[in-house]
Amino acid sequence: MSFAHEPVYNNKAPIFPPLLLSAVPQFLFTLSQVVSFGKKMLWVDKYRPKTLDQAIVHQDIAQNLKKLVTEQDCPHLLFYGPSGSGKKTLIIALLRQVFGPGAEKVKVENRTWKVDAGSRTIDLELTTLSSANHVELSPSDVGFQDRYIVQEIIKEMAKNRPIDTKGKRGYKVLVLNEVDKLSREAQHSLRRTMEKYSASCRLILCCNSSSKVTEAIRSRCLNVRINAPTEEEIVKVLEFIGKKEGLQLPSGFAARIAEKSNRSLRRAILSFETCRVQQYPFTSNQVIPPMDWEEYVAEIASDIMKEQSPKRLFQVRGKLYELLINCIPPEIVLKRLLYELLKRLDVELKHEICHWAAYYVTLCIVLP
Amino acid sequence: MPQDIRKWFLKPHDKDKGNGNGSISANSAPSNSEPMNSEPFRGGKEGSGRRKTSKYFTAEKKKLDDEKGKAELPAKRKTQNDIDDSRKSPRSRKIQKVDDNDDDFVLPNEKRGSSVTPSKKLKSSSGRGVAQKSVHVDDGEEDNVKDLEPPVKPRGRGRGGRASGAPAIGRGRGGGQGGIMNFGERKDPPHKGEKEVPEGAPDCLAGLTFVISGTLDSLEREEAEDLIKRHGGRVTGSVSKKTNYLLCDEDIGGVKSTKAKELGTAFLTEDGLFDMIHASNPAKALAQDDSKKSVENVATSLPLKRSPQKVEVKSNSSASKVACESTISRASPVKKKKQNIQDSSLTWTEKHRPKVPNDIVGNQSLVNQLRNWLAHWNEQFLGSGTKQNGKKKIDPSAKKAVLLSGAPGMGKTTSAKLVTQMLGFQAIEVNASDSRGKADSKISKGIGGSNANSVKELVSNEALNSKMDRSKHPKAVLIMDEVDGMSAGDRGGVADLIASIKISKIPIICICNDRYSQKLKSLVNYCLLLSFRKPTKQQMAKRLMQIANAEGLQVNEIALEELAERVNGDMRMAINQLQYMSLSMSNIKYDDIRQRLLSSAKDEDISPFAAVDKLFGFNGGRLRMDERIDLSMSDPDLVPLLIQENYINYRPSSGGKDEMKRMSLIARAAESIGDGDIVNVQIRRYRQWQLSQTGCLASCIIPAALLHGQRETLEQGERNFNRFGGWLGKNSTMGKNLRLLEDLHVHLLASRESNSGRETLRLEYLTLLLKQLTDPLREMPKDEAVKKVVDFMNVYSISQEDFDTIVELSKFQGHGNPLEGIPPAVKAALTRAYKEDSKLRMVRAADLVTLPGKKAPKKRIAAILEPSDEGIGEENGGMLADSEEENSSDTEDPDAGNGEKMQKELQSLNSKGIEVQVELKGSESSSAKKKPAGRGKGGSASSEKKGNSGSMDKKAGRGSGAAAKRKR
Repeated sequence: MSFAHEPVYNNKAPIFPPLLLSAVPQFLFTLSQVVSFGKKMLWVDKYRPKTLDQAIVHQDIAQNLKKLVTEQDCPHLLFYGPSGSGKKTLIIALLRQVFGPGAEKVKVENRTWKVDAGSRTIDLELTTLSSANHVELSPSDVGFQDRYIVQEIIKEMAKNRPIDTKGKRGYKVLVLNEVDKLSREAQHSLRRTMEKYSASCRLILCCNSSSKVTEAIRSRCLNVRINAPTEEEIVKVLEFIGKKEGLQLPSGFAARIAEKSNRSLRRAILSFETCRVQQYPFTSNQVIPPMDWEEYVAEIASDIMKEQSPKRLFQVRGKLYELLINCIPPEIVLKRLLYELLKRLDVELKHEICHWAAYYVTLCIVLP
Repeated sequence: MPQDIRKWFLKPHDKDKGNGNGSISANSAPSNSEPMNSEPFRGGKEGSGRRKTSKYFTAEKKKLDDEKGKAELPAKRKTQNDIDDSRKSPRSRKIQKVDDNDDDFVLPNEKRGSSVTPSKKLKSSSGRGVAQKSVHVDDGEEDNVKDLEPPVKPRGRGRGGRASGAPAIGRGRGGGQGGIMNFGERKDPPHKGEKEVPEGAPDCLAGLTFVISGTLDSLEREEAEDLIKRHGGRVTGSVSKKTNYLLCDEDIGGVKSTKAKELGTAFLTEDGLFDMIHASNPAKALAQDDSKKSVENVATSLPLKRSPQKVEVKSNSSASKVACESTISRASPVKKKKQNIQDSSLTWTEKHRPKVPNDIVGNQSLVNQLRNWLAHWNEQFLGSGTKQNGKKKIDPSAKKAVLLSGAPGMGKTTSAKLVTQMLGFQAIEVNASDSRGKADSKISKGIGGSNANSVKELVSNEALNSKMDRSKHPKAVLIMDEVDGMSAGDRGGVADLIASIKISKIPIICICNDRYSQKLKSLVNYCLLLSFRKPTKQQMAKRLMQIANAEGLQVNEIALEELAERVNGDMRMAINQLQYMSLSMSNIKYDDIRQRLLSSAKDEDISPFAAVDKLFGFNGGRLRMDERIDLSMSDPDLVPLLIQENYINYRPSSGGKDEMKRMSLIARAAESIGDGDIVNVQIRRYRQWQLSQTGCLASCIIPAALLHGQRETLEQGERNFNRFGGWLGKNSTMGKNLRLLEDLHVHLLASRESNSGRETLRLEYLTLLLKQLTDPLREMPKDEAVKKVVDFMNVYSISQEDFDTIVELSKFQGHGNPLEGIPPAVKAALTRAYKEDSKLRMVRAADLVTLPGKKAPKKRIAAILEPSDEGIGEENGGMLADSEEENSSDTEDPDAGNGEKMQKELQSLNSKGIEVQVELKGSESSSAKKKPAGRGKGGSASSEKKGNSGSMDKKAGRGSGAAAKRKR
């Protein structure tokens, strides 16, 4: 499996000077509630808490955050925790708390920056989500050139103070997603920015694992650990949704979903709704459909168990390609494959296979 | 291996010459039918043998044993061989060695007889050889000389005989070498490597021509070819009258066998070939009686055989130069030898440079063309003699200059010089060593100094040439050599040359290597183009043979053809090689050339497939490291890719039938490929090119070294040759899918209903999204389902393309299509409904987001923009209706807008209201800039827009220009 092939970024993008985020008056093409479709949304979005007060899980953290931003100045924040635990939800609710409903009026932009990197110029394309007071972006999307995003673009954004600060907060917020995927260089570039422009700009960093964020950055932030919700909490949320949707929940059904969700609330709600789409009314022993790719990985695992020969190896490689083609990140595939294999393997092999899985996952995450 | 080499030394130049000579001369006469065959008969004698210190022998032996172990010969066989050897040593067997000069190294027979088996000496021996020579030559030389006489003659005869047949054969085609790509289609020999390859007298197949067809029983085609050539036979690609045998083990009824039947060519099986070779070796035949086994063991596979030869040749030549000299002096006229000595300061390329045009190898027609052109130049362009300048008939196709092109070493410069010389022109040569910049415009200064100026002067001043008295002053020809080398220092050189050609009063001959060079693009229009082609190997061999004869070198023609082939048509290089080899040996054989040129061969283009074939091939394990590096570096991108694609298919020859071993080797190879990938990232990302050897070691050489062997198919119906790297295509599909996913992601974000990352979207949302989008279509009544799905799509700003993306990303090989079970009518209805809806609805933020890499925005969006503005502006119904009409016309060809890119920018420029700017850009300038963000400032915007909507719409529809329209 080759991970060395970097996605090729489109070089044909026209060249625009970096746009100054707030130097040009922004006219948001505001679509607030232009469309009100009510019920058709996915539950996971529909029942997402909009404010800190509405939070069902992590209520304590939500209250602390609220106190933090209302009573004093907001420091840089680093949210970390497993996926599906509610980091993003909390961040959005926090922004709303700070900037009011305006924070929800975001626009999506796909912007191109032309960065001068010594001998050549690099075109970077990045999707940003911005409101009048905050910008959200995932610098790691540009791959190994993320350094330039941090050095040039984030700095530029951070440098410019919001124009109209009357009656508002005197700072704006940059939300950076997936900081753990930032390259080391980018993280180093980030730390100076965090200090230098802290007067006009706060960073909210969001990542799964704080261990991949350098000490220097961690120490500059208020670290907020968001735990995965417990199964009881998940059940509580599912029951809440069920009640709102007016569904009949057989006893134990929510618990089964929660159990299968691997303590990811998002997972749980999504599979809950998948079940709903698949079959309603629920039966208590209803099959909870797995994700399509997980099913495929399970297939690979059983292929592997059945036979170990070059021929099978060849077939398995084809299937792994298939997963990669369908945009499943390799490390996720490996993790899942390990999970599936562990279910099937003899005890004495488990240790070894965990070792190798860890080794190769590290290779494909850390090294390239 | 050891036994082969030892045989060498067993070989007979035994000291009891009376006996040896007797047998040789006796045998050589009868063996005239196989002219080169005389040597073998030297068996049966145990030479009185000089005793030699065995110090070297034992050391060498050890080394060889190690090698042998590496070559993975079964250990048991080795010991067996030793025993056999000791047993059969008395029947000394002869191998290719023709010269007898190595008496010096004959081993004491007593020693051989013992089971200690001293082995041979290797190249290390040269120094020692000389020393010994001083001892031995004295007593041996005289005898040697006598000894040599008989074999030499038959050899000469043999060559003569072959030579007559040679030119006719295979002139059309360069032998069956080109088969690499076909190679894969051919099945592997069914009993590959299972038979012992015989070895016989070096020239036992001399004069015979073979054609190989189909799959042989145990030999790869290359091996068979090698075997035949080694024994002096010739291998051609197609059957002709000259073909003696068609070598095939199965009658596949192809063109070759049909033709062979037609011509009555004899068919020969592989076993037959082996028998022929065996038969040539009486000693072996004798051995066969005695112990069949020993024969088999002696006959080792080809590559093993090679090294003893080399050893022998080296030691021979270096050690016994004196003997060589004497051989030569006898074989060739004495005066020739003298001449050799006189000319020895000249390189052969100079010495044997053609003296007349007919000597030029190949391209005779081009040379004639050149001569004709030059001969008629004066009449053509100067109207010389006629003085009717006004009505010169100038052939429009005639050019005043000629451009000779071709690879180096083909004799372009030589031809040019010879032709000019022959026609009595005086050649003025200007080559890359001269500055050839643009002539100084102030030519009035005269020609002093600048070469370019003197060229100009020369070219334009007729007086300097033709008007002169011809007898005293020959006409001049300007030879511009290496015109493609005009660069850096020669600014404007080519342009100036063209100018010179235009005004020239003398012929100009330009010479270049690459006619298609960018620099010469303009020049070719002014020149008669003569492209030199590679001479055929037969042509080259013929000429090389002449040279070799002139230099008193014993070379066999097959060897020269091999040489010609190896140098890839470069005559100069071939001669240089020949001269170089002549320094160390006086008798050059096929194997010497093979051996030597393996390392010094001219760089040739090798396709990645051929490289991978070689790395994984049957003797991939015997390649030297530098060869492996060369192979893997032949295309540092593709070779690793091909290796990675195909390594699973190989059954490593080291692993035997053991599947577990194979799997673990595959695992190691995979590990190494992975390492290679990491290195590759370092190279590409951080430009650490010094790692490239490490990278190719890890990604190519180690996997190939672990797994080289026989390829087998893993899938039904797969053709058994290396596939192209599948990952390359898959990677680009992945890139495309990632981009599509990003589009979907952006749309979802723009809908502001979801806030998840791209990865989360794929991993967790996608299953549910797909269900939401497809399940209703399958289960619910059509209209209801369509409505539901369209509503859902609208909530999340999912466009039709996104719908396709979701379906595409959910497809897994071996699983059903996610759209299965949805009646086409429903799909069509969905499409219709969606389109209908998108016309009516307000613009969505998602429509305004420019997507990366998407160069083909939809006209539809342009159209949609209009109603959306109105919607925001709270326009009245009438207005809406108007614009809708226009919209519908615009949307009729939603896909036609490919070339266009819509850029919309709304900017408020003053406080009074809003000025709307719509920019339509050509797709070249496309891309994300500032997104159209926006709603104007509420009420004030509305009034402004109201009046504009109509015209805006038109503009959007018109859409191609880059003009930015500004409206009030």
